[in-house]
Amino acid sequence: MSLTQTGLAQGPARGPFAASTKIMWTRWAIVLGLLLLWEIAARLGGNANLIAPPSSIVQALFTQILPDGEIRGAIALALLEVCVAYALSIAGGLALGLAIGSTDLSRRSLFPIVLLLYAIPQAVLLPLFTLGFGIGPAAKIAFGFSHGVFPILVNVVAGMRNVNPLYLKAARAMGAGSSDIFRNVTFPHMVASFFAGLRLSMTMTMLGVILAELYVSTGGIGHFTKLFAETFDPSPLFALIGTLALMAIVLNELVRTIERRFSLWKESS
Amino acid sequence: MNLAEADPKIAAVQAPAAISVRGLTQRFGDPGDPRAVLAVDSVSLDIARGEFLCLLGPSGCGKSTLLNVIGGLLKPTEGAVTVEGAIVDAPRPDKIAFVFQESTLFPWYTVAENFAIAFKYQGAAASEWRDRTLSALKSVGMAGFIDHYPNQLSIGMRQRVNLARGIAAGTEILLMDEPFAALDEQTRMVLGEDLSTLLAETGKTIVFVTHSLAEAVFLSDRIAVMTARPGRIKKILSIDVPHPRLPGFMLEPRFSEWRNECYALLRDEIREAMAIAETAGKETS
Amino acid sequence: MQARAVQLVFIGLAFAAWYVAGRTGAVSPLFLPPLEDVFQALAQLVQTTEFWSAVGVTLATIARAYLIACVLGIGVAYLVTRSRFLTRLLEPVISNLFAIPITLFFPLFILLFGIGVESKVAYGATNAFFPIALNTIAGLSSVDGRFLNAARSMGFTPFGTFRHVLFPAAFPIMLTGLRIGFFICFASVLAGETISSVSGVGRNIALAAELFEPARMFAWIVVVIAAALVLNTLVSMIENRMRGH
Repeated sequence: MSLTQTGLAQGPARGPFAASTKIMWTRWAIVLGLLLLWEIAARLGGNANLIAPPSSIVQALFTQILPDGEIRGAIALALLEVCVAYALSIAGGLALGLAIGSTDLSRRSLFPIVLLLYAIPQAVLLPLFTLGFGIGPAAKIAFGFSHGVFPILVNVVAGMRNVNPLYLKAARAMGAGSSDIFRNVTFPHMVASFFAGLRLSMTMTMLGVILAELYVSTGGIGHFTKLFAETFDPSPLFALIGTLALMAIVLNELVRTIERRFSLWKESS
Repeated sequence: MNLAEADPKIAAVQAPAAISVRGLTQRFGDPGDPRAVLAVDSVSLDIARGEFLCLLGPSGCGKSTLLNVIGGLLKPTEGAVTVEGAIVDAPRPDKIAFVFQESTLFPWYTVAENFAIAFKYQGAAASEWRDRTLSALKSVGMAGFIDHYPNQLSIGMRQRVNLARGIAAGTEILLMDEPFAALDEQTRMVLGEDLSTLLAETGKTIVFVTHSLAEAVFLSDRIAVMTARPGRIKKILSIDVPHPRLPGFMLEPRFSEWRNECYALLRDEIREAMAIAETAGKETS
Repeated sequence: MQARAVQLVFIGLAFAAWYVAGRTGAVSPLFLPPLEDVFQALAQLVQTTEFWSAVGVTLATIARAYLIACVLGIGVAYLVTRSRFLTRLLEPVISNLFAIPITLFFPLFILLFGIGVESKVAYGATNAFFPIALNTIAGLSSVDGRFLNAARSMGFTPFGTFRHVLFPAAFPIMLTGLRIGFFICFASVLAGETISSVSGVGRNIALAAELFEPARMFAWIVVVIAAALVLNTLVSMIENRMRGH
């Protein structure tokens, strides 16, 4: 019951470049076409307070965003927060998952509570987090952690549970004791499930950190997005968000590469 | 020379041909593509009304393709198919019904609903379909399962209902693509007898694809033996036995003679089909 | 049986700890107000008209956003799956876009739609669009070709094919997407309201925090959690009923 299985029909772990040439060219053509359309529409009819043509965005990127030390600092801080929160999610998810999945009783009693917590829309806890952790990086890391820990936790527990009973039977028939079975059958299976949850965890961690950053509008990224939005200055706003989106894509690809590297030895499910 | 024209049986039939195939060639893929496949090569054939014609050939010889073109599921690349004078290039649910190899009963509808859907698009009145459904199901012994879902039936039972749906459509022409392939031999024999009886009673025109020699001889009025790919008609055999055919027919010496003649014609084609399949396997690996 | 007991003990301990913390002042009352205060605030809250109007605003926003997401998601999915080329072209794009947190673009929604309800409707709809579209694409592309063949041979119209073949075949996977989409819509509308809004449940929670009224904030949070749990159970029930047709 990995999240990726009960939930979204996520495609296989292929990168965006795994496509035939014709498809690749069509995609690039469409992207360029859309950019061109955007440029023309924005310049001709768009409200300059709301829409920025791509050229202005690129210009704003190099004149307002990148040179500004404060903004660079805010982006770097956000990146750091995501990484720390992600590391904590992995460690915490693994530890908690192993603990909860270790015995039948702990799993049957505690896992439903975990799933219930997962169903709560965490955004409403955001003000609470800031009350508790302040408006500095701690709150953002904590909030990122509280989002990112769940996919790992759930996948670890599920991975420990869903081992094909045929393997267990075969192992016992070969005379393996319970610690052997854990080491050689359950654990490797859980690891596969664990890696499947890594990408979703990264997405959720980023979600949490960004939500927190946007909420706290006194500093960091939230400050600048609020500033640009309130002064109706779309170009630097688009540029800033574009930079962050790029960061998100890069991080996602990094995790995807790691996932693929470790999926090579995993059996196809 | 048109083999069908040389066949004495055609000349003897007084009714005009129900299905006429002229110079049919079927190609898959673009002309310049090296992976393009010539499935059927210049086939011409006349099928008389009320006749049971079998398309017999090795795997991959294009018999299913030929059947699909006759039924309008595929547009001919070259040549034409006419049914009672009208050209067929699209499905004709009022005149032609299909029975496919695997059950195509929709799993999300009950047996009754599956029949209702088939009739709806034929334009049949709502009142009459229930009767026709029941009688068709009775003829295959599945009337008690009319409100079951296909997944509740075994594969054999599903295929019998599938067959009933094709018959219940009440069309003049029935095209069947290896309908008994997924069934065990005993069910196959019983249903074969039923099909022969059906033919005698209703006078439907049936085109039947199979690669079972015994099935072909037992059921057909004529057998079109096909070559390996690209499919051409090698020879047409006439089986001069009236319908309904009795199980005793299989024990008669002429049954074995016809069967042996089919095998003699097919033997080299089968080997060639295997060779073609092997080269194809090498290319893809 | 045993599992239930452990669960109740666990939850009981959690509440007991909360109660004790309130009494002893071990945790700052700003962060964790005493249990009784929260109950009192909750009781008072549900009697005010502001409460019910805020709930109404949020529910209306969620409903509108979800409806838009469903129509667009299923519509786009249907169009994309009409051609295999189109599916191969666009499905990976949609899937990869989904990996970028839409939350990043929230300020753009505020810029374009203002801080009123519209921006939350747009934001919620955009978020919910992806799981609905992706799952519907997966469902529609995985319809067994022989059913489509049979439908053609029986003379089905394009709408008939959609209604009797494509839709029923794709429905189970679609349903999962609709479920996920709903909860994503629910969560993202609340998130949007919390971050920047003038009305609705999320706004009230943020406001309570700003005004340093932790008991009232917790009361609101309890309401949201209760709603989330109820919705979860309800949706599971509905889904089970629809699957076991």
